[in-house]
Amino acid sequence: MNDNAITLLEAVNLALARAMADDPDVVLLGEDIGTNGGVFRATAGLQERFGERRVIDTPLAETMIAGLSVGMATQGMRPVAEIQFMGFIFPAFEHLVAHAARMRARTRGRLSCPMVLRAPFGGGIHAPEHHSESTEALLAHIPGLRVVIPSSPARAYGLLLAAIRCDDPVIFLEPKRIYRASKTLIEDNGQALPLDTCFTLREGSDITLISWGAMISETLDAADRLAAEGVSCEVIDVATLNPIDHATLVASVSKTGRCVIIHEAPRHGGMGAEIAATLGEQARAALLAPPYRVTGHDTLMPYYRNEQLYLPDTDDIVTAVKATMEYVE
Amino acid sequence: MKYFKLPDLGEGLPEAEIVEWHVREGDTVEVDQILVAVETAKAIVEVPSPQAGVISHLFGAAGDTIHTGEPLVEFAGNEDADSGTVVGQLSRAESTDSQRESFIIGAAPSSKQAVGQRTTAAVRSLAQRLDVSLDTLHGSGPEGRVTVEDVEHAASLDQSVGAPEALKGVRKQMARTMAQAHAEVVPVTLCEDADIDHWPEGSDITLRLIQAIGAACEAVPELNVWFDGHQLARRHHQKIDLGVAVDTEQGLFVPVLRDIGNRPSADLRAGLDRLRTDVRARSIPPAEMQGATITLSNFGTLAGRYASPVVVPPQVAIVGAGVIRRQPIAVDNDVQVHKVMPLSLTFDHRAATGGEAARFMQALIQSLSA
Amino acid sequence: MHEISYRGEIRLTRYLDESGAPLGDMPDWACGEQPWVHYYQQMVLARQFDTKAISLQRTGQLGTYASLLGAEAIDVVCASRMQTEDVLVPYYRNHAMQMIRGTPIARLLQYWGGDERGSSAPEMQHDLPNAVPIATQCLHACGVATALKLRQQHQAVLTVIGDGGTSKGDFMEALNVAGAWQLPVVFVINNNQWAISVPRSKQCIAPTLAQKALGAGIRGEQVDGNDAIALHDVVGQALERARAGKGPTLIEALSYRLSDHTTADDATRYRSADELKAAWARDPVARLRHWLHQQGHWDEAREQAWQAETKQLIEAAVADYLALPAQPVDDLYDHLYAECPPTLAVQREQARAKQARHEQGGSGHE
Repeated sequence: MNDNAITLLEAVNLALARAMADDPDVVLLGEDIGTNGGVFRATAGLQERFGERRVIDTPLAETMIAGLSVGMATQGMRPVAEIQFMGFIFPAFEHLVAHAARMRARTRGRLSCPMVLRAPFGGGIHAPEHHSESTEALLAHIPGLRVVIPSSPARAYGLLLAAIRCDDPVIFLEPKRIYRASKTLIEDNGQALPLDTCFTLREGSDITLISWGAMISETLDAADRLAAEGVSCEVIDVATLNPIDHATLVASVSKTGRCVIIHEAPRHGGMGAEIAATLGEQARAALLAPPYRVTGHDTLMPYYRNEQLYLPDTDDIVTAVKATMEYVE
Repeated sequence: MKYFKLPDLGEGLPEAEIVEWHVREGDTVEVDQILVAVETAKAIVEVPSPQAGVISHLFGAAGDTIHTGEPLVEFAGNEDADSGTVVGQLSRAESTDSQRESFIIGAAPSSKQAVGQRTTAAVRSLAQRLDVSLDTLHGSGPEGRVTVEDVEHAASLDQSVGAPEALKGVRKQMARTMAQAHAEVVPVTLCEDADIDHWPEGSDITLRLIQAIGAACEAVPELNVWFDGHQLARRHHQKIDLGVAVDTEQGLFVPVLRDIGNRPSADLRAGLDRLRTDVRARSIPPAEMQGATITLSNFGTLAGRYASPVVVPPQVAIVGAGVIRRQPIAVDNDVQVHKVMPLSLTFDHRAATGGEAARFMQALIQSLSA
Repeated sequence: MHEISYRGEIRLTRYLDESGAPLGDMPDWACGEQPWVHYYQQMVLARQFDTKAISLQRTGQLGTYASLLGAEAIDVVCASRMQTEDVLVPYYRNHAMQMIRGTPIARLLQYWGGDERGSSAPEMQHDLPNAVPIATQCLHACGVATALKLRQQHQAVLTVIGDGGTSKGDFMEALNVAGAWQLPVVFVINNNQWAISVPRSKQCIAPTLAQKALGAGIRGEQVDGNDAIALHDVVGQALERARAGKGPTLIEALSYRLSDHTTADDATRYRSADELKAAWARDPVARLRHWLHQQGHWDEAREQAWQAETKQLIEAAVADYLALPAQPVDDLYDHLYAECPPTLAVQREQARAKQARHEQGGSGHE
């Protein structure tokens, strides 16, 4: 048990090591994860520690990686597969949607699919095209697929452990922009955080800010700025995008009456729409203003020169909060 | 860094020949210290060290060809602070004082409270705008929730009639107690007069009332019980603890005079005075107002003849004494004017019978008439 | 009782040995000055460009860049053997091919500099842009070839893929349909032995990648990818066959990745310095130079002159690239559809306002 100040990426590594030490059925597979320790070093040192049998460098084939994981999982193993970037997850879709999501249901529980698929996602690292995708809504829309997104080292550690121990498939999306952005003290105690639950990062009374992933960083910055101006923001990290813990969001909005939902992914059909619609249904009487969304544009994520125009920033969030606070029916 | 690779020498040629090493494996070098001389097609170039460190390996010997990007020198110890990515740049944490994270799993406590609340943020906001106090509002919505209509109605009432005053303290307690009594008790009131014309001048009226109740309880102990309406059971008391209603500016207090059946008059009088003083001084402890087995309400100092005073559970009877007055009464066949004390007795018919009540009243009258 | 239903073979073509000396009697067509001097010059130019691009990345003027060091012969010969009307469907390491087919160097830099206009040069004609999702370009190449065939055009499509990419389904599906439909496509595998950190030996157990063609029923062969003369022969013939309607070819060019996977990768983590040094001994540029020197078609003086000329060319292109104006944010909206839907008007305004705010430096964003 050691207490380190570690980054989100190192927390992923710590959780993987922990899960592998605790359960011999946990096996990692992916491209460049063994010798190279992963292109972001998420699996650094694991092949040395656990051997080539459990940390496998696969041939270059995402469909194969996903399909293999399904097969392994049906036989009781707990594969944790890495897709190198979310932009390359599309070949894996068939196995996630057509198989992983429904293995338990269509065998009425005789077989299940306890696999985890990890992928770095999101923009903001000045990368070439296809490496900045934020398409979590496509996956969260699928019944049977859990989508989990950490936003801090502690939540990365706790949620990844939970994902690996979960008996159903989990897509674990790691916001690469904040992989190394901050360090916090983590105790390697093997304690998982609950899935299907939001986390309240800051308690406030005037407005609820709802977000996930790397945008939590800007959201907290916005909350700080607004606090200095006398606006008390409650900040909630949704964390699991399917199923969503609407109860926590409804409770918060019942208290504050206003909310802004922030996500990097495009506006149209983004998960902000799901949350806004549900708040409209379940917290209608409490709302003093319509739920407002701050999102990426309904265009492609541009090449890196224009990346910062696309990504929502702290200014965008502050502006939206002020507009919401001033809204009068 | 662990490996120092041959940098681009700026001449567009990717290769160079090692002419001479200026360091050996095991040497400690400083930044900019010359490591090696290499020869390109154009010139001999001296290559400086990019960092301080210990050389653990030299790649190649004099005469070997080396290309841009190939490892030239290996430094001992520190693992590469590698870029840790295959595309792009990841910003690194600068702060070294890192702390434990703190966050709440699920909703904040203040949010959880908000869910069951009678009011929503929208209603609260409206109430604030209309200057309506939510504390006094009754919610007509589902589960007692305050609705917008409730707020608007209260606002218009406030405008025409004035803002409501929320009850506090003793008045609030009285409202609650009386409502509960009304809900549970089945009250019957019996009225009668006591002829007290023969009482000596300066008689202690209250004391005589207390003694009369003591005698009546002895005669009819069935009216000195506690009744449990749910269990349908009675508790009989050996002693008589008399609740004495005291009217003050703050409201109605009912302190308890203990064991009135066994105490001499002077003691009873002193006790009563003490209770009255303590009540008025608001120094009476709560214990002194609990446990009455029967109650006396003497409104005779004010106004009123008969009344139907309220029996407060678990008691089953209460005696009311009205204003003593001179009135014509029949003595044999003559009409005389005598001093008369009107008496009322309310009893809970769940626990006592009319006969018991009547006999109780009879004993009261007998004691007072003596 | 058993009989052999099918027996296949994979031919390997080489003309020069590792040092650049002839492996046997050289055919006459290999001994003249051209196109070999031209090839050499283009390979040197390609390498100059590559070195410069890496340098630009190191100084923050270019984004992550995928080096072509070691692949110069493959790129130059394949592009040179293609006709203008043929269609190139590259992966992400074929900058020299694009250059030779007419794309201005500044445009190449523009792409790696994070600007979509890099893929819009009219000189690219019908060529597809760089393909990042691995092996997807092979199916696109088949699509292009299908269009050509349906229109009865006698052109060929050439597509390139790495050794890692041959493990993907897209590649296998492409070979299959190319064979089933006899498409005019030439698949070139740049087998540079590495897929980021995964060596060729872990990618596939087959002794050659070329024999995946046999599974699809198409012609497959190997060539020394660092031997410009061999490439000229093999690629040229494959393109001619395709244009003549004689079907697709899979060519496995054996080569070596002398660089890191990208400028953000560090190959010292996973491969030995000895292996890299040994690979340099088979450098395609050095080998062709050696042959040309031997034949008397090249010398030091011409080398110096050419170095100077290429240096100027590249410097000029870099200057062009650095001087390119920023892309207006409207481009995000104007090129998403043929016509931008009016429903996006609000977002466009927000994007414009944000660009203005950033230009005033008011965002606190770096």
